Amino acid sequence: MIDLSTKLGSLELQNPVLLASGVWDFPYTKIIDFKRLGGVICKGVSPFPKEGNPPPRITETHCGLINSIGLENKGFDYFECEILPELKKLGTKIFVNIFGESIEEFKEIASKIKEVAGVEVNISCPNVSKGGEKFGKDPKMVFSITKAVCGETDLPVIVKLSPSVENIEETAQAAKEGGAMAVTASNTFPGLVIDLESKRPLFKRITGGLSGPAIKPLALYNVYRIKNAVDIPIIGSGGISDYKDVLEYFIAGASAVQLGSIIFNNPLAPIEILDNLICWLGEKGYKNLKDVNKK
Amino acid sequence: MEPTFRILPVLENKKLGPYNKITMKDVQIYAHAECGNFVMIGLQGFDPYLSRPFSFLEGNRTSFSILLKVKGRGTELLSKVKKGDKLKVLGPLGKIFCPPKEGILIAGGIGIAPVYYQSRWMKGGVLFYGAKRKKDLILTREFKDKGFTVRTITEEDGGLVTDLLKEYTDELDGKQIFVCGTKGMIKSIKGILNKEQIEKAYVYVEERMGCGLGGCKSCAVKTFEGYKLVCTEGPIFPLKEVKFD
Ligand SMILES: Cc1cc2nc3c(=O)[nH]c(=O)nc-3n(C[C@H](O)[C@H](O)[C@H](O)COP(=O)(O)OP(=O)(O)OC[C@H]3O[C@@H](n4cnc5c(N)ncnc54)[C@H](O)[C@@H]3O)c2cc1C
Ligand SMILES: Cc1cc2nc3c(=O)[nH]c(=O)nc-3n(C[C@H](O)[C@H](O)[C@H](O)COP(=O)(O)O)c2cc1C
Ligand code: FES
Repeated sequence: MIDLSTKLGSLELQNPVLLASGVWDFPYTKIIDFKRLGGVICKGVSPFPKEGNPPPRITETHCGLINSIGLENKGFDYFECEILPELKKLGTKIFVNIFGESIEEFKEIASKIKEVAGVEVNISCPNVSKGGEKFGKDPKMVFSITKAVCGETDLPVIVKLSPSVENIEETAQAAKEGGAMAVTASNTFPGLVIDLESKRPLFKRITGGLSGPAIKPLALYNVYRIKNAVDIPIIGSGGISDYKDVLEYFIAGASAVQLGSIIFNNPLAPIEILDNLICWLGEKGYKNLKDVNKK
Repeated sequence: MEPTFRILPVLENKKLGPYNKITMKDVQIYAHAECGNFVMIGLQGFDPYLSRPFSFLEGNRTSFSILLKVKGRGTELLSKVKKGDKLKVLGPLGKIFCPPKEGILIAGGIGIAPVYYQSRWMKGGVLFYGAKRKKDLILTREFKDKGFTVRTITEEDGGLVTDLLKEYTDELDGKQIFVCGTKGMIKSIKGILNKEQIEKAYVYVEERMGCGLGGCKSCAVKTFEGYKLVCTEGPIFPLKEVKFD
């Protein structure tokens, strides 16, 4: 038997494959067997409803896509009544991705999340005008938000870092000092698309967030940098498309990974990745994921 | 019916008017498809990275086809598939709609595909159909065979579908109306229908899609009740609900 289990601090996952925030919803349960996943991170929830950005909200780029969704969600009350009970039935570990426009909002929402595996703090969305990436770029703010969230909840806290910084080691260190159990590296990269018809930026908010295979080397490098500077478990996120990508992230320093855009390209990717990881470890004679990093 | 994700072989890719009719071998997806459903279709690999939404055109127990209009890079690549090539297909998707036995179908250009698919459940009515050129008008015989009165107009003749509707406006009274076309066409149709007609009118809404499964929130359309997702709450919406800027 090959053991794919992995640890994030004190938290044990049956395997390292998580679904990222903002890319899936319940209809995916008809395609993917969620019980096989290591866990899922739900779409960002804010204390109050957010209507999201005006369309267009997505466009394809070479080997990826750019989105300008704007954290559309129906707010915490709706989440608690309508979504959370359904999430709990999925048969996998649930992480609730939270978003606030101020430290107060982060505190408010963190205090209300209960009975899940953990909280992922989104301070790295490039598609909103308040909070988001602006918080994630400032190590002092990263520290303050993480500390505030950790003060409100006993759940493990994961901080999702922004790639739009010069030294991601600094923001990772700030998250650690604030009390984070792990960091996710990293969110989408801001990018621009010009519409040739109107000769203007395609998105109303000008920029969007780039994801998919196009960003893999950049996000992988972020994981590597953090691993070499800060002692904190890392969840890799960015362009992961097959089992080889997962292995690369592991070798760079991640303890788990998030699959995002790839499920648009191939909704069965999470399951194929798990099957192929088992095959690859078997072929190499490895018994578990830790063996991958044995010299 | 629950959607499935399948790799299907292309049986045929042929021209139908200015479009490509692409037929895939399939025993599952079409068999469970209902009115209102659509599919996401993509090429294997990363180019294009995202699948694209298409209406069903027609099918049977062993295959189904779509009608494809080349718009940009994604549809350009898809239009080149050959017999035996494999396509990624996710479906059936969308919210099921219970069509009337008889009604009014209004199509502009490639908008003929979803209304033709809808006619599978209908016994007749009137089709109002506009296109750029005469030779772009397709499937009119098939509609007549199904018992539809077919009224066509082309820009070549100097007319738009709205001109047809103005001429035959009485025919719309009391009937359910279904519109599929460009945003501009839908907007001008809304402008000429009377209140009672708008009450009974529905529109096929198109938005850019990432997943087709309600996951990415990218296919939002503005309605009087806030944004709604085309892939899970549409693509068919009451005309009165949709906001046009
Ligand atoms: C429910 C539904 C059913 C459809 N049925 C058909 C059909 O039967 N036949 C047909 O030819 N076309 C249909 N379309 C439109 C078709 O999906 C688009 O023309 C196609 O996605 C354009 O892709 P592109 O890469 O060629 O164009 P580009 O303009 O290069 O596309 C850039 C991006 O915009 C998106 N996009 C652009 N225009 C549209 C559009 N009108 N709708 C959705 N996404 C768009 C693409 O997905 C892509 O991400 C349908 C759309 C929807 C939403
Ligand atoms: C359409 C879309 C919506 C997203 N929404 C969120 C979100 O609500 N919260 C968040 O923290 N990240 C969000 N993300 C970022 C992803 O979770 C992920 O970190 C990023 O896309 C990089 O991974 P990928 O290349 O595998 O997609 C979103 C990404 C996409 C493409
Ligand atoms: S296409 Fe992803 S939510 Fe509709």
